[in-house]
Amino acid sequence: MPRPQPRTITFTIDGREVRTHENKMLVDAAKDGDVEIPVFCYEPKLGQPVGACRMCLVEIEGIPKLQTGCSTPVKDGMVVHTQSERVKIAQRSVVEFLLINHPLDCPVCDKGGECPLQDITFGWGGGISRFIEPKRHFVKPLELSPLIAIDRERCIVCYRCVRFSQEVAEDYQLVLLERGAHSYVSTFDGHPYVAPFSGNIIELCPVGALTSRPYRFRARPWDVEDAGTVCTLCPAQCNVTLTVRDELALRVLARDNAEVDDGWLCDKGRFAYQSFHVEERVTAPLIRDGGQLREVSWERALQEAAAGLARAGADTGALAGPGSTNEEGYLLGRLMREGLRSPHVASRRAGRLPLELHRALGDPPLQATVSDLEFAHAVLVLDADPVNDAPILDLRLRKGVRRRGVKLAVASPQPGSLDSIAALSVRFAPGAGPAFAAALSAALAGEESIERLAGDAGAEPDAVRELAALLLAAGADGAPSSDDQGVRATSEVVILWGERLAAGPNGVLGVSALLGIAESLAMAAADGGGLLEVPAFSNGRGLREAGVLPNAGPGLCRLGGEAGDGADREVAGEIASQDSSPRDAHAIAEGLAAGEMSGLYLLHCDPLRELPGRELWERALAGASTVVAHASFLTEGIREHADVVFPAEAYAEKEGTIVHPDGRLQRLRTAIARPGNVRAEWQVLAELARRIGLELDLPSGAAVSRLLFDAVPFYAGLSLEEIGGSGVRWQEREAASSFPRASIELAEHGEIELAEPPEDAAELARYGSMWDTPEVEFSPALEFLFPHSELVG
Amino acid sequence: MSAPAAPSPLLLLDGIDEPGLRTLEVYERRGGYESLRRALAMTPEEVLAQLQASELRGRGGAGFGMGTKISFLPKGSMDKYLVCNADESEPGTFKDRELMQKTPHLLLEGIVIAAYAGGISCSFIYIRGEYVQQADVLDVALAEARSAGYLGDDILGSGHSLSLVVHRGAGAYICGEETGLLDSLEGKRGNPRLKPPFPANQGLYKGPTLINNVETLCTVPAIIRMGGEEYAKLGVERSTGTKVVSVSGHVCRPGNYEVELGIPSREIIYGLAGGPPDGRAVKCWFPGGSSSPVLTDADLDIPYDFDSLAKAGTMLGSGAIIVVDDSTPILDVAMKVARFYRHESCGKCTPCREGTNWTVKMLERIDAGEATPMDLEIMASVQEHIIGNCLCVLGDAMAMPIGSMIAKFRDEFEAHIEAARSRTEAA
Amino acid sequence: MTAVRRFEGGSRVPGWDEAVDLEKDPAEVPDPATTPVPEGLREEIESHMADYPDPRSATLPALEAAQRVHGWCSPEALEQVACVMGLTPADLESVASFYDMLETVPVGAHSVYVCTNISCSLRGADELYEQIRAAAAGDPDLNVRSFECLGACDIAPMASVDGVYVGPLTGADIPRMLGEIRGGEPVLVDKQLLRRAVADPRAGAEPPPETATEQGQG
Repeated sequence: MPRPQPRTITFTIDGREVRTHENKMLVDAAKDGDVEIPVFCYEPKLGQPVGACRMCLVEIEGIPKLQTGCSTPVKDGMVVHTQSERVKIAQRSVVEFLLINHPLDCPVCDKGGECPLQDITFGWGGGISRFIEPKRHFVKPLELSPLIAIDRERCIVCYRCVRFSQEVAEDYQLVLLERGAHSYVSTFDGHPYVAPFSGNIIELCPVGALTSRPYRFRARPWDVEDAGTVCTLCPAQCNVTLTVRDELALRVLARDNAEVDDGWLCDKGRFAYQSFHVEERVTAPLIRDGGQLREVSWERALQEAAAGLARAGADTGALAGPGSTNEEGYLLGRLMREGLRSPHVASRRAGRLPLELHRALGDPPLQATVSDLEFAHAVLVLDADPVNDAPILDLRLRKGVRRRGVKLAVASPQPGSLDSIAALSVRFAPGAGPAFAAALSAALAGEESIERLAGDAGAEPDAVRELAALLLAAGADGAPSSDDQGVRATSEVVILWGERLAAGPNGVLGVSALLGIAESLAMAAADGGGLLEVPAFSNGRGLREAGVLPNAGPGLCRLGGEAGDGADREVAGEIASQDSSPRDAHAIAEGLAAGEMSGLYLLHCDPLRELPGRELWERALAGASTVVAHASFLTEGIREHADVVFPAEAYAEKEGTIVHPDGRLQRLRTAIARPGNVRAEWQVLAELARRIGLELDLPSGAAVSRLLFDAVPFYAGLSLEEIGGSGVRWQEREAASSFPRASIELAEHGEIELAEPPEDAAELARYGSMWDTPEVEFSPALEFLFPHSELVG
Repeated sequence: MSAPAAPSPLLLLDGIDEPGLRTLEVYERRGGYESLRRALAMTPEEVLAQLQASELRGRGGAGFGMGTKISFLPKGSMDKYLVCNADESEPGTFKDRELMQKTPHLLLEGIVIAAYAGGISCSFIYIRGEYVQQADVLDVALAEARSAGYLGDDILGSGHSLSLVVHRGAGAYICGEETGLLDSLEGKRGNPRLKPPFPANQGLYKGPTLINNVETLCTVPAIIRMGGEEYAKLGVERSTGTKVVSVSGHVCRPGNYEVELGIPSREIIYGLAGGPPDGRAVKCWFPGGSSSPVLTDADLDIPYDFDSLAKAGTMLGSGAIIVVDDSTPILDVAMKVARFYRHESCGKCTPCREGTNWTVKMLERIDAGEATPMDLEIMASVQEHIIGNCLCVLGDAMAMPIGSMIAKFRDEFEAHIEAARSRTEAA
Repeated sequence: MTAVRRFEGGSRVPGWDEAVDLEKDPAEVPDPATTPVPEGLREEIESHMADYPDPRSATLPALEAAQRVHGWCSPEALEQVACVMGLTPADLESVASFYDMLETVPVGAHSVYVCTNISCSLRGADELYEQIRAAAAGDPDLNVRSFECLGACDIAPMASVDGVYVGPLTGADIPRMLGEIRGGEPVLVDKQLLRRAVADPRAGAEPPPETATEQGQG
């Protein structure tokens, strides 16, 4: 769907000529001329303006009645007045009306100091009240949910919260009841408002009617500092602002980035900051002593770890887990490959893919962005469950369907929250994602083999054909192109796929089929289409690009010893493993369990919790002689098996970079102090490397970033300044041309032979929901979600 | 402007009490559905031209040209909708009720013709939920018309098709507002929508939608029968044709009367409805439902048509005259009106939600002897702050009559304030 | 008229003072497996849904049907409609609470809406309403409500008894009216609106000669 191309026009506001985009709403266009038109109900993120609060009334020459600036698109030559007597009277009267029943409890109101009603009353109100009747008094505050308190006296009925529930989250749980002056915000029959995105209504409320229960009475705006960073608690990497008081994070607010989160947060992102400051957090180095972990000095811990790792040497495997930064991953790779001479570096839950497939998947023209989900003609969600994998994408998909008419198709093993808005939902057997992708690829190519492949996938062949037809027809009802490419060149299709598609014995096949689908749909040729992967771990993409893969170094370069092409660089250091083939996570576990390996380095990864094959991992951990872990919480695998535990930083304490699934490099900035004896983890990794004999000259965190940017050819020339607050997609920079192109040939569909799925295929394809993590478990406010996390799915 | 000389013909109420008129058989015997046959023999453009030539203005309240409204619909093959607004809720209005109950086929015929002119194939009658019996009558008539081929696919072999559903409301005045009606018909709260987009472009289910009042549509068969130009000769300039006027309140013969627009108001109130009971005089009257600013006995000779009433600072509205005689305190009238609009405000926009509520509280305070004359100023100013600042016309519908009462009966309000105060102080 | 009401420490709107029960699950679209719906009600709702291009349009008829079955739009009734229509019960409660004829608290089986809007009030409706209320006091089967203009000012003061309009009413009609309601008989037959001729004297049962001719030509 082509994105609107606005025309630049000139209009006059308060005597000033202002250039702006045609059809911008007046309240936004006015800002281009530094004129503020006050609003309460207007919030473009909530959809079409409703014109309810009437605060934005302005005078437009040629129109007799005052008009709402929130709903009037600006036109060339329009003459607007916001300071005329008529307008001022209207603004004063709206403020007066709103204050009729608004209590005078600003001194004890959480919103005080950051309250639009206060600000607008001060700026545009009349300054006196003529209302002498008694105000309403009700019981307050009341619980609306475990997270949110509601104060109905303060509500000005702006409709923002109920519009969010109905038009953005589409959970339809929060509604207005009764009508007229009796209208009030409520839920059905005393049920709490519990939904994955409920916390956004707190931020939307322009008064103190909806407040955060964990934040109530914790601080005043003048007590706090704002600190912008990026949430790494799931792969979606929403931009956030932390409210910090005395080095404690007290609140998380959205930091609107249209290319990432559209200004929304999920409840985990909003409330899991509590897990930064809980007692359960590991805040000092620990070593296992007499079977128990106990606190030790950094010197002791580093010494133990270095000694243990040195003993294991090339027989050490390393796993980087969710939330590890690119820099940490990069240092881990060097520590392993150059320090320990071990090639066994992994960061993928789904296992290993041939390097050529990684490169093919990363091909810049094939990459879709988050906003493409909103503007594409069609989106296929393939073996992904956004609300549990990367929740904020669920909202973006809903926005695309609701506001832009995106045709959404879902192909997944289980029913999910998107089925109700999907134009087509297709089911396949658990773990049969690869077979399904092969069947779809065959259907798109119009091949006979679809029957057999659909059968292997446990899917209805007709449903697969219907899906293929939907994708092929995408954009055809728009403006068909007359060139040789026919409809294809104008159609924009995005496939949002989950890393689990690449899991299991048929994973390689699944990814090949995905590439076949992309080819059939000419995705690389379309501007607004492409592939978007939801990795199993937050920053999965960044870790891969930083070289945390068994078969690739930084920049997806070929590892030493293998044949390389011109674009490759060889990774320094000779690999000296007895077993020359580098191991992925599963193979590391097998190696440890079989006694072929002895050391394990766990960077933010508890295999018992985050990786499939629990039984194998239990044996592996038991068999390892040295287990070094970075962890914030002593989850089972760490508690029972780690020999050395380094306290991990919370994301708010980290500096470094991460890569969004669409290739956007984003910057983490230290927002709060590290508690206790927590140290920067890049420093820990560098120190450990030094002790093992790999001297890296790293005076600062920024220096690690510079090393990384130099090591990845397609990041060349990047700087932290360039990444800035809203990130930069490397594909949009010149250096993207250095991305190593793949040379692959896809198999004919008829030749595809699927491996017999193993017994645990379903388990391999099952991911832990991102609601089921230590950050949720250890945040008191979110505890209610933890035992029933399926509720929010 | 002078009153029409000849006695006006009855186009709508003519023989309306004939037994069995609500059945297809009697309706057809009296020439029913002949206009439809005639219309289907014309092109939709020709039908539209007749409607435009008639200069018929909407009978629901806003008085917008009916033909013009149809002509605003975009051309093309998209799904378009016709919604007959039968949510007759304006206090004092009961003309549509009488028409639907007694001559339902007249309405159906009008709907089919209007839909034909507008290229519309899907229609609804949104009838207020309280009109249970009338809705039942419509359902029966609908089934009859359908089986006789006047509705449904390929009507009378013309190739034109029209579906029709009688949709019952559930009690909310605001659903008479056309966009509130659309939201309600879509199964939501009946909150009015922002305009633009206007329903003609984006109405029901986001499709182009024609919304007409019952009486307007009931007039269509007569226009096709007479010809638009002939119809336009009735009434006066810019207020053509006849209108059913509901007269109620302090009159001897309350009820519906069909008059040619432009006749003196006095003739309706006194001549037809018999005026106030003996010994009583008209104190004030609402010319077009309780939303219209009140007039007094000095205004009885104003011709009853759209423009003359507008010139007098009020409106013809739904054509409902409510007469209040001199036995009733103006405060009681104001209180009734204000409480009604407070009750019916949907609550979506600030000035209406808060302004109606505040106005009632001020009136209650006046009545309780807790007000001073200054409060009257505040109340008048609040009405001014409501007018023109709301999302839809409901806020204005309270503020304009209340404002007119304060302006025209200020002395009585002040006397009431004083009397109530001394009563309270004495107690 | 009564004195100004003060709203200290309490609401006259049900719900304003109510918190949620944190022990309850969130109210999502009800699961058909755990939400039994009476078969007749389900069929009626589904048939209404089929009437419209968008089935959501059927909410008012569906709620009306559920109210007929349950006596009011109880939480259970709302859940059943929500289940059939695939909506959340909150969505439906929001709709139900907007409309005067949908009851969100339990009420008597027979509704008596007494119009107390201006035209009826000018003819004594307020006193009539008080009298009916007093006469019906204590009868749990009667739902006597003052109502906004019911569109029958020609028979003011009037009432709608289970949808049947009757008027003009006087105090003397009340005992008979209530007796007939309780006895399940047609109510005030002689005062039913349906039997009333139009007021316009020229619109008699027989069309005037000149219009008859005109119609003959048509």
